[in-house]
Amino acid sequence: MPIDLTTVLHTAELARLDLTYGLAPDKAQAALDKLAAEMSGIIGHFDQLSAVDTEGVEPLYSPMLEPLGPREDCPRAGSAPEDLLSQAPERLGHFFAVPKIL
Amino acid sequence: MTEMTETTELYQLTLTEAAAKLQSREISAQELTAACLDRLESTEPALQACLTVLADQALEDAALLDRAGPDPDQLLWGLPLTFKDIYCTKGVRTSAASRMLRRYIPSYDAEVVTRIKKAGAVVLAKTNLDEFAMGSTTEFSAFGPTRNPWNPAKVPGGSSGGAAASIAACQSPGALGTDTGGSIRQPAALCGCVGLKPTYGRVSRYGLIAYASSLDQPGPLARRVIDCARLLQVMAGPDDRDNTVSTRPVDDYLSARPAPLRGLRLGLPRELWESRLDEETSAILKAALKTLEEAGVELKTLSLPHLPHSVAAYYILATAEASTNLARYDGVRYGHRADDPQSLRDLYVASRSEALGPEVRRRILLGTFALSSGYYDAYFKKAAKVRRLIRDDFFRALEECDFLCSPVSPLTAWDFGKFTDDPLTAYQMDLMTLPVNLAGLPGLSLPAGLAPGGLPVGWQLIGRPFGERDLLGAGLALEEAFPPLT
Repeated sequence: MPIDLTTVLHTAELARLDLTYGLAPDKAQAALDKLAAEMSGIIGHFDQLSAVDTEGVEPLYSPMLEPLGPREDCPRAGSAPEDLLSQAPERLGHFFAVPKIL
Repeated sequence: MTEMTETTELYQLTLTEAAAKLQSREISAQELTAACLDRLESTEPALQACLTVLADQALEDAALLDRAGPDPDQLLWGLPLTFKDIYCTKGVRTSAASRMLRRYIPSYDAEVVTRIKKAGAVVLAKTNLDEFAMGSTTEFSAFGPTRNPWNPAKVPGGSSGGAAASIAACQSPGALGTDTGGSIRQPAALCGCVGLKPTYGRVSRYGLIAYASSLDQPGPLARRVIDCARLLQVMAGPDDRDNTVSTRPVDDYLSARPAPLRGLRLGLPRELWESRLDEETSAILKAALKTLEEAGVELKTLSLPHLPHSVAAYYILATAEASTNLARYDGVRYGHRADDPQSLRDLYVASRSEALGPEVRRRILLGTFALSSGYYDAYFKKAAKVRRLIRDDFFRALEECDFLCSPVSPLTAWDFGKFTDDPLTAYQMDLMTLPVNLAGLPGLSLPAGLAPGGLPVGWQLIGRPFGERDLLGAGLALEEAFPPLT
């Protein structure tokens, strides 16, 4: 199916991406048009799958031959909180800090 | 490439040769590490295969090993090895070649890193890749591309292009890469070395930065088949932190011996051999098949009718998984954060849009689309059904032969920028390799010859699930018939 600009922008919104971030207004439209054309081409290629007869075929989401069950539910050593917080762009004490939302 | 000199330089030793000399104390870990570092320093300006070189740490680690002396139980004792920069390494920057993670320092080692270190190896460097392993040339690395040692005007392949270029240039005797749609096998072919993608679930993915979790698999690259056997021996096996790893016992890969060529049954998937190969690749591979036939190999052309749909199925499933895996990069807990966000939403959008490169954004968009309301059944679920049909094709074909054999890349290494404006054609270049990931099978890529233009041509053997030992045996036989290029 052809992908129009509205679909591209809606998808980018779902993915939390700004496709024209940092681009000058005159470049922004061209970048979006190019991306929409590329996506139309790629998704057009995907559309060939609709012709494949998959009646009664179960989807295969993982190639594992013998899926393992859940692990035993028991406590085990994890990462130290300080290790995990050490990579935070911004923190407040033992918390990850983000801009005010209210 | 190995230079033709009277005496073999230390850096030219294959992994297996070096391991023997280290164990017998003919050479020391420090000598070998220093030789590899010198080689790295002299070749790196032209290649840019490595993102981080751990020169001081590597020499220190080697000195510690030398003081303790060789341990015959440590299969990789004293060997300097590289890791693709997508394996988390404790205390060492792990960037995935992305601006997003350019300052990320993991607090833990990936399971494969732990195992390789425990086997006595020295970590020499972290190698370049396409950003988040999304690409087939390393041109999408945020830190600039790697160049092919056979011709610096050509791409090394990807996404483990830094690893393959590094091996081919003898910077180290072995490298750890990852293969989601051909990312070990294709750069190995384009750089004239050997690369193995194990069965899905043979090796732990714990501590790998995820691209597409149902397709990603760690594996080795080296200059000889038996070197890959040694590395896999250390890598393979269960890990209770990755629930997709099989608990099946690990075979003795090191005892693999060349399979007799006479009577070996190789299946040739028509859909791959009859697709568009460039003239050089086609000529080398046809001649190679003739040589095999003369040696008594039974070649049988087989049809895997759903293979032509592999590229579509793969790029739906892989991008869908990527879009969810990469949702974690939101500027909150680690990775890049944009300056002065006005709101939480702005923080997410600005951080992601600033730090994710064009191919990663494209794949996130494609995957988000395939999973979005109204399109999920038509694309994502449909692709998963076609995936089962593709796997069934493989299982049927493997009942009629010992291994499948196919080209790895339709082209020899190509010019930089060739497919920059044509992502769909770039994706179609992966047709030979990605079906193997969809089916979860093991694949071994090795050199078939050198094209008249001076670039390597590779081919691959595809085996049964968990059949790595037999696959390596067949690879050893092919390696005897078609001598290594590096």
